[in-house]
Amino acid sequence: MKRLLLSSGVVVFLAAPLAAQSPTARPPVRPTVYAITNATLVPVVGPRVPNGTVVIRDGKIAAAGAGVAVPAGATVIDGSGLFIYPGMIDSGTRLGLVEIGSVPGGQDTQELGQFNPQDDVLSAVNPHSEHVGITRANGVTSVITSAEGGLIQGTAALIDLDGWTPDEMAESGRVAMVMTYPRVGGGGRFGGGRFGGGQNQGDAAATQNRQVRELTEYLRNAKAYNERPNPVPQNLAYAALGPALRGEQPVVFDVQTEGQIRGALALADSFKLKLVLRGATEAWMLADTLAARRIPVIVGPTVSTPTGDAPYDAVYALGGVLAKAGVLIAFQTEDGGEGNSRNLPYNAALATAYGLDPDEALRSVTINPAKIWGVADKLGSIETGKVANLFVTTGDPLDVRTVVKHVFIRGVLMPWDDRHTRLYEKFRARPKP
Amino acid sequence: MRHALILALPLAAGSLLAQARPDSTRPAAPAAPPVLSVPIPPAATLVAITNATIITASHGTIEKGIIVIRNGKISGVGKDLAVPAGAQVIDANGKYVMPGIIDAHSHSAAEAINEGSQSVTAQVRIQDVLREDGISLYRSLAGGVTTLNVLHGSANTIGGQNAVIKLRWGLPVDSLLFAGAPPGIKFALGENVRQTNVPQIPGRTPRYPRTRMGQEEVLRDAFTRAREYQAEWKAYETAKKAVKKGQLEPIPPARDLQLDALVEILEGKRLVHAHSYRSDEILMLLKVAKDFGFRIASLQHVLEGYKIADEIAAAGTGASTFADNWAYKLEAYDAIPHNAALMAERGVVVTINSDSDERARRLYQEAAKAMKYGGASEEEAIRMITLNAAKQLGVEKQTGSIDIGKDADLAIFSGHPFAPASRVEMTLIDGRVFFDRNKAPTLENLIEMLKRRPRPNTTSENGGIK
Repeated sequence: MKRLLLSSGVVVFLAAPLAAQSPTARPPVRPTVYAITNATLVPVVGPRVPNGTVVIRDGKIAAAGAGVAVPAGATVIDGSGLFIYPGMIDSGTRLGLVEIGSVPGGQDTQELGQFNPQDDVLSAVNPHSEHVGITRANGVTSVITSAEGGLIQGTAALIDLDGWTPDEMAESGRVAMVMTYPRVGGGGRFGGGRFGGGQNQGDAAATQNRQVRELTEYLRNAKAYNERPNPVPQNLAYAALGPALRGEQPVVFDVQTEGQIRGALALADSFKLKLVLRGATEAWMLADTLAARRIPVIVGPTVSTPTGDAPYDAVYALGGVLAKAGVLIAFQTEDGGEGNSRNLPYNAALATAYGLDPDEALRSVTINPAKIWGVADKLGSIETGKVANLFVTTGDPLDVRTVVKHVFIRGVLMPWDDRHTRLYEKFRARPKP
Repeated sequence: MRHALILALPLAAGSLLAQARPDSTRPAAPAAPPVLSVPIPPAATLVAITNATIITASHGTIEKGIIVIRNGKISGVGKDLAVPAGAQVIDANGKYVMPGIIDAHSHSAAEAINEGSQSVTAQVRIQDVLREDGISLYRSLAGGVTTLNVLHGSANTIGGQNAVIKLRWGLPVDSLLFAGAPPGIKFALGENVRQTNVPQIPGRTPRYPRTRMGQEEVLRDAFTRAREYQAEWKAYETAKKAVKKGQLEPIPPARDLQLDALVEILEGKRLVHAHSYRSDEILMLLKVAKDFGFRIASLQHVLEGYKIADEIAAAGTGASTFADNWAYKLEAYDAIPHNAALMAERGVVVTINSDSDERARRLYQEAAKAMKYGGASEEEAIRMITLNAAKQLGVEKQTGSIDIGKDADLAIFSGHPFAPASRVEMTLIDGRVFFDRNKAPTLENLIEMLKRRPRPNTTSENGGIK
């Protein structure tokens, strides 16, 4: 109902020729200048601005603040009573790789073997997945997407949730190299042994030790390869690790336990890696160390249960403990095709209930991930000159009750054409049988 | 995906626990304080919760209200009540009290989930495999949950008998059972019953049914048998009554525990909770139920319920759904987050359930999604995890709202249950405090405890890597 109203609500403010369009159709010509007026701006890097205006021109934020003039010819959206936030960034998903979880052809996340640094996730992202539309509809405008399985998964991509092709979506196509630190009970994430049950603890530990040796040796060989001038024959896998081993590209380590975190720190020291920890449910044990070493942590998904007999709030409270210690944090949903990415702000909300400052929580889904992924000059806040990824709401995006009214990606007003809105409108209009 | 795993791999819990043990390469971590050490709360005979914002779920919200609890029942609720002398007072100033959350679909506390060897296993009972020591029970309590509908899985068309329980954590297992809750049973339709999402084991004959058509046949066959069995017993009872002195007693029919349960369904004594996704299979089930003269108490999951909300409402059937899960199976591809609100709008009694030890911890957050998607009112959304669930389980006279005479099953939140930074401070069942954040082992406590411990003489900073 609200969606229906607001799709037509937009039309009210659009120029006359666009009003004739179907509410869900994308206009053939994109207006390039918008002004959202009379709204509360939440830049996240500075104080809130009541009665503010944001001007969007050619995909960028041309002006933002109080007393900003509406340019001639701009399409005006009245933001009275509404709030403008920078688009949210989910720092861990499988978006574009999974359409339907249970259907074998619906998943494209896991290559064979332990070492696949040469795999570029962006090549497998389906820009027309139904998940793209339903995710951005809640204000998540960019996500990190990456593969899973094994010890080195390849590059992750930072994509905006709009575009005709993967390259068009990419903010940064090879934003990081993704690795998993071996753990007892399985190789990579969801690796063997998780549900196997057959492996005893001694064998599992031996497997982990072997995998740590293999990973270390692999990195050592890759480093040697990358130090050789014009190596022949070429090894594309080793070559792909060049930027990470030169410290130019962050390395994301998916980890959970304290042991894995310590191991990843040791590897990062040995190879001078620019480390980002992700998951890291036991990172609270090393919060001060991580803060001192300025290692960012991607927390989450917060919607998960503590392992073993950890305190009931161990997952919820982690973000607050790390932030208070001075660690730069962001959140991930690990959306593997269940539709979780749109719930990114609610992952952060649970953390606020257990100690994370609400403003820091908001930064953890906007400017913090932009910093971690090296795009803070383009994304993550409402500032003049930045990419116009932003959304307009009825209130705090961390509050489930808040309704998203408009979403802009790169200055384009997104149509309400996602699968869920379509089905809702269709069946809400079903006549009584 | 995770959901599907729970249903398909009931034995996985053991291996998950094993995995949670510490890595052997790190120094031995100090043991976390066992949650099991939480003391069993004493029962107070007279309790007053004061200064609370009371979300009753039945008659609006009361600001600065008082709830009086006598012997586990709510004996007073309102604005201008006196605190009875001698009452144990819980000052809820600035806090919100709502009815204890009821999870209408859970597998917590069950040691086994599926008896999937046959298509009809109406004879098996969750109450025979309940455990009181699962940590998920405590964690659900910490999320304000007081009552669970513990169901079998979805392996077979007619699963087993459910157990409605209260989360009386710390008490013996038999004390979990919800006294007076009508008996129920789990049905299941669609992909899980078809076993389309589990690998076929070579050489093993697949189990019937493999199609939704077969599922209808299984249902009709089962209830036809049940009717015949019912008739046999009626004939026997009639004949027995007609026996005159000196005549031989008639021979009773063979007792069949499976058909006993089905006869109870036919006689309206056992509530059917039916796992279902697609609109076609739901319509089939409603038709079968109508033909055999019984009502489906609740459709579980019912992800395409919004497509046939009028038919569900007309059948007097409840709907218990997820807030916004979708696309984890083909039959979940048309799931929309507006499902709950749209069905409610068309007159269906709707609940939002967890089907998960994780979502059970934050059902209040899930319920708020009905407001966001489809515009349910706040009161309607609250009912979706309280009063409506009580109705679907047939326990609405005992629990589900804050009304005089009902069990004092309550959740006290630090703020509005739907507000982002709110958390559960206290959970009461029958007036007894089973969760208290101030006494609970928290991460903060654990960190403080570890800081106070003396450091070991040596440490291995790199996790044992040479």
